[in-house]
Amino acid sequence: MDFGSFLTVPEIKVKVVTYRDIFQDKAMIENRFGEEYRDRSAVIKLDPADLKQLSVKKGDTVILKNSFGRVVVRAEESGYETSHRGIAYMPNSPWSNILVSDETGGTGVPKFKDISVTVTSAKGEKVTEPGF
Amino acid sequence: MEKNYHVCTGCGLLCDDIEVESEKNIINKVYTACRVGVAHMKEGKEEAIFRVDNKPVNEETAISEAASILKNAKNPLIFGLGTSTSETHKLAIELARKTNATLDDTSSFCLGSLVEALIHNKIKTCTLDDVRNKADVIIFWGADPSDSHPRHLSKYSYFPRGSEKQRGWEEERTAIAIDIRKSHTAKICGNYFFQIPPGGDTEFIDALIAGLSGKLPKTSYNYPPKKILELANILKGAKFGIVFAGLGLIYSLENLEPLFRLMKALNEKANFHLVPMVGHYNMRGFNENLFAETGYVNSVKFENDIVKHGPEYSIVESLKAKTVDAALIIGSDPLSSLPRSIAKNLFEIPVISMDPCETLTSRNAKVYINTAISGVEAGGTATRMDGTKVSFKPVVETNHPSDEAILKKIMEAL
Ligand code: SF4
Repeated sequence: MDFGSFLTVPEIKVKVVTYRDIFQDKAMIENRFGEEYRDRSAVIKLDPADLKQLSVKKGDTVILKNSFGRVVVRAEESGYETSHRGIAYMPNSPWSNILVSDETGGTGVPKFKDISVTVTSAKGEKVTEPGF
Repeated sequence: MEKNYHVCTGCGLLCDDIEVESEKNIINKVYTACRVGVAHMKEGKEEAIFRVDNKPVNEETAISEAASILKNAKNPLIFGLGTSTSETHKLAIELARKTNATLDDTSSFCLGSLVEALIHNKIKTCTLDDVRNKADVIIFWGADPSDSHPRHLSKYSYFPRGSEKQRGWEEERTAIAIDIRKSHTAKICGNYFFQIPPGGDTEFIDALIAGLSGKLPKTSYNYPPKKILELANILKGAKFGIVFAGLGLIYSLENLEPLFRLMKALNEKANFHLVPMVGHYNMRGFNENLFAETGYVNSVKFENDIVKHGPEYSIVESLKAKTVDAALIIGSDPLSSLPRSIAKNLFEIPVISMDPCETLTSRNAKVYINTAISGVEAGGTATRMDGTKVSFKPVVETNHPSDEAILKKIMEAL
């Protein structure tokens, strides 16, 4: 049964895998406060079925939330041929870092690659500004 | 015609075959570099900028403000330096000694432990030139050089015809990607892409070790044993194997023991080396330089004449515990690169930011000094990701002070 359909705003839980992207890196060097860097960074790539469950079209904004922060980014289809429901991909950036836990177990190493968030439609809300 | 080649400091690969066309100290054209390298070489801005409390000031005022922040702090944090020359590192270490500072770099939360293992000869390693000339089995593990070190595959690890690999990748090299994501590099590896679930690296390592000794490889995520055995067979046949270890692998391991086990098992059956996929052009150099001075690669605290070391002196833990009371950040942007939940503590202390470009950190700093781009506007030496020393001269002249010059002046002002 599709539980999400009973809620007014469908919500899903995903694990976020961060990665680096050469186009995004180049945009960062050119201007960290520029539009191109924001467009290439503030993105989450989801499985098409997850997008559908959220009633979100590609290019729409979504809210990513967990106990460490909240951020609005654009949703995209991942383009991977194998299904990966529940796993989403985000370029490593100040936007993804808003969602990283401060728990380190005293090791000095944050869990950059272990991010869990809930995703909901942002209903047109704008992408979060990179500042504080 | 004699050609004048430059070094690109855009990433840990430190490509040394770059040609540029420049006019009036502005670089107009960059040849041979990748997309990231071109953007990096052309990054130069016109005017030097110094700011205190977000107001423009002259160099002298900025230096004296920076010096007074460091002087008044009981435990300042000096952090960054991954994109500084080794000459700058030595000055930063001296400054840390003088000010009883906590000194750390990004390696404490990325590849520092691996570089330390290499310094202690715990893992067999080789140079990128060896890889180009000899490597027949190349593993990219949790690494995607096509995005992070764009010329890695073309210049060294896969595509070139090396002196002992004249038939090239078509016949003489096998590239393997082990990752949780089908990266651009994984696509190049084709059928030799092994996709594992997030956090599944340790189990995959142990399954592979079992496979190497002919046992049935098992994982809790039911990776097809046949595929692991196939991989083990390829690895066993390697005459010159190389593992490029990336952050994806390191973040997935609790400690390096599984990697040590794997390298040992590989070297019982074949000949394998490891090179860390260091991102910043001189992070490895910082680890080596600090090790030479203190016996530690990062996360140190100077106290009078003693040096303390441990994760509590890493940037992450010292910001979390609020043990540092000022910060000098050199060529790094922790407000962007650290979890926001931790980085926000930087707002509670005076921050001096030395950086060639505007970042979230520079914009929120009490003192900002716009420095020369190391490698483009200032020269020096650095250690490439594979441990090779590289020296470079500035490509163009600039009126921006180098971070080396600024550190000298801060030291004089103390
Ligand atoms: S691969 Fe790295 S060092 Fe080489 S040109 Fe690109 S950015 Fe510069």
